[in-house]
Amino acid sequence: MKGDSRHISPLIGRVNRSASLIISLYLLGSFTLHAQVVTATEYKIQAVFLYNFSHFVEWPTESFTDYYDPFIIGIIGEDPFGAYIDEAVAEERIKSHILEVERYNDVCDVRHCHILYINQQDPDKVRLILSEVADKNILTVSDTPDFIRWGGLIRFFTENNKIRLEINNTAARKKHIMISSKLLRVATVQ
Amino acid sequence: MNLRDTPIQRKLMSIILISCAVVLTLMCATYIFLESKTYREAVLRNVSTLAAVIASNSSAALAFDNTGDAQEVLNALQAEVNIQNAALYKIDNSVFVTYPAGTGKSAFPEVQPRKKYLFNGNYLHVFQPVMQGEEQLGTLYLKSDLKAMFRQIKGFGLIGLALMAGSLIIAYFLSILLQRMISEPIVELEKTAKIISEKRDYSVRAVKSGNDEVGALTDAFNQMLGEIQLQNSEILSFNQKLEQKVEERTAELQHQKEFVETIINASVDLVAVFDKEMKYIMINKRTHEYYATKDVDLIGKNLIEVFPQVEKSKMYEGLKNALNGVASHDPKYKSEVLNCTLANYYIPLRNINNEVYGVLTIGHDITNLVEANEKLEKVNAELMKSNRDLEQFAYVASHDLQEPLRKIQTFTQMLHETEDKEQIAKYYEKINQSSTRMKDLIRDMLNFSRISNSEDAFVETDLNRILQNLIIDFELLLREKNAVIHFPNLPTVPGVPLQLSQLFANIINNSLKYSERNPIIDITSETLTPEELKNLLKLDKEQSYCKIVFKDNGIGFESQYNEQIFAIFQRLHGKQTYSGTGIGLALCKKIVENHHGLIYAEAEPGAGATFTIILPLKNRKGF
Repeated sequence: MKGDSRHISPLIGRVNRSASLIISLYLLGSFTLHAQVVTATEYKIQAVFLYNFSHFVEWPTESFTDYYDPFIIGIIGEDPFGAYIDEAVAEERIKSHILEVERYNDVCDVRHCHILYINQQDPDKVRLILSEVADKNILTVSDTPDFIRWGGLIRFFTENNKIRLEINNTAARKKHIMISSKLLRVATVQ
Repeated sequence: MNLRDTPIQRKLMSIILISCAVVLTLMCATYIFLESKTYREAVLRNVSTLAAVIASNSSAALAFDNTGDAQEVLNALQAEVNIQNAALYKIDNSVFVTYPAGTGKSAFPEVQPRKKYLFNGNYLHVFQPVMQGEEQLGTLYLKSDLKAMFRQIKGFGLIGLALMAGSLIIAYFLSILLQRMISEPIVELEKTAKIISEKRDYSVRAVKSGNDEVGALTDAFNQMLGEIQLQNSEILSFNQKLEQKVEERTAELQHQKEFVETIINASVDLVAVFDKEMKYIMINKRTHEYYATKDVDLIGKNLIEVFPQVEKSKMYEGLKNALNGVASHDPKYKSEVLNCTLANYYIPLRNINNEVYGVLTIGHDITNLVEANEKLEKVNAELMKSNRDLEQFAYVASHDLQEPLRKIQTFTQMLHETEDKEQIAKYYEKINQSSTRMKDLIRDMLNFSRISNSEDAFVETDLNRILQNLIIDFELLLREKNAVIHFPNLPTVPGVPLQLSQLFANIINNSLKYSERNPIIDITSETLTPEELKNLLKLDKEQSYCKIVFKDNGIGFESQYNEQIFAIFQRLHGKQTYSGTGIGLALCKKIVENHHGLIYAEAEPGAGATFTIILPLKNRKGF
């Protein structure tokens, strides 16, 4: 139910997403065109980054039910990585935890995961998802521009043709998610 | 210079310095080696630590592809001047970031997955995996310059060398000071020994410097010197005694030698000693007098070299026998060198081992004795001959002289018994004949016995005159017998004219007497040739002789009587056939012998006889 209440305005979110896309197109001009060309590469890098977060971030112990509880990277929305992410995590472990990738169509499906990549064009949907997982120790990641402002923890953005990170460390601390200072150093911290 | 021959001081110093140098070198080498090792380890540790820190700091940058941050992290290496290059490699080993910024990627090596570090020349290369948790995100490469390290090691080396040099200099001066402790007493000892050996002064003593081994050596040396000094003085006094004894002995020996020499030289005999090579060793004075030599002429010289003529003599044989150990005595040795006869003794001289080392020869001069002996023998022979003659004479006289006497006696008796005048006249005639014969016998015998052996009466006698006088004397007989005498010119010889006249008379008489028809006597004369002289042994080979031959045509005689006819009272025929006393030819022989000549006869019955007389042309007095 709770989840449902957060998904109240998917239209707005969709509008927002369209608007931001439009704004982006306006602002970046030809670059956007180029960005669209390297999109596949960008997602490939993002897949690796998602995996790498597992090394630089510590979750509270209660986020694992037991010693062998898998470490789950969840993807909500359309999966932009495809096989890349599966390859990146294949047979990898975080300490004793096997890495697994779960894909969710709806925020209701998100029950237990450690990293959640939110791929939604609709800002409302993003906000809805964020609100749905706000009380869970989940490292939320997205490339939505206002993601941090909305309470997301890590946002991907492109700068000088490179993918950069924006981190909301305050929010992370509230969720008892400890982000390594090294990671913070290479990111823009809010 | 050989180390063995170097002075002990230098040896000691060498030992000290070499030991110090070796120890110091080893210590410095060890120090440098350890320091280098430590330093190297420290450098490696520093760089490794640095690499670990950098790697740790750059893990997020690698993980999230943040070159700016990575560059920033690497730029922190500016604080470490020795880091020349650095690079971050991604997990796929591609170069991510380099330091200094902008360095070409080609300047970096490929990732060495196995090696963590590598010292290569002047650089240390370190590869540090960049880990996040258990995940490797990439690799950090650092290249550290080792110049500083080498500089440091060089510094250590220089310090070591300086330390060594300083230590050796100190050790040198110390060794100069310290070696004296050992060498000085030894050198002192050596100096003392040198003084002693040079001056032969055994009263010098070495000064003791301590109670160590050298001190003990010094004591022993001094003790030895004392003993040598003592022994020396003993030897000296012994030597003096010995010398005195030797002098005494020498004098004694000299005296004995002189004594023996005096005796040997006083000897009337010839004394000489030869060695095994027949070289003269000793000759006495008497021998020198005989030879008219001196010691220098003969001593040491070989007998045969000096007198080669001795080699074939009996003396040489005697010497050889004596050298073979056989003593011999030659009672009559006619010297080959001297005109004398010696009785020689050859006595082998033997050493202690009974080996012959020489010969003693003693020669006793018996020349006078031999001469006297010869004379005696000659006289004896003459005496025996005259004795024999006398015996014969006595026999013949008793027989031949008694015969006419017996006849006279018989006829005198018969005179008494007859009255017949004719008979008486006949008996008187017989008595007269016998007395005449007796008178002839006595006359001839007197003549024979009167012939003297003396040469005092010898004068130059012309044989021609002798013969001519004889022919006058024989004139009647020759005419009566119708005889002819042919004679040549005869030589003049030394002799007694009366005896030579008797000689010729008897031979002519003999020829006339023993002939049956007209006698012819051929006389020839010639000088005796050397060839003929050689065959006639009894003659003096130095003398020249004449040969006078009387050849007749008488009855001759059997050749077996060639000798017999010259014996006294020897007649081959009866008195009835041929008259004669039997003394004539014996007288001839005696006369010829008295004149040192020869007479012999050759004949054949019926073919005449030949009498040959050989007389010297000069007598022994030289005319």
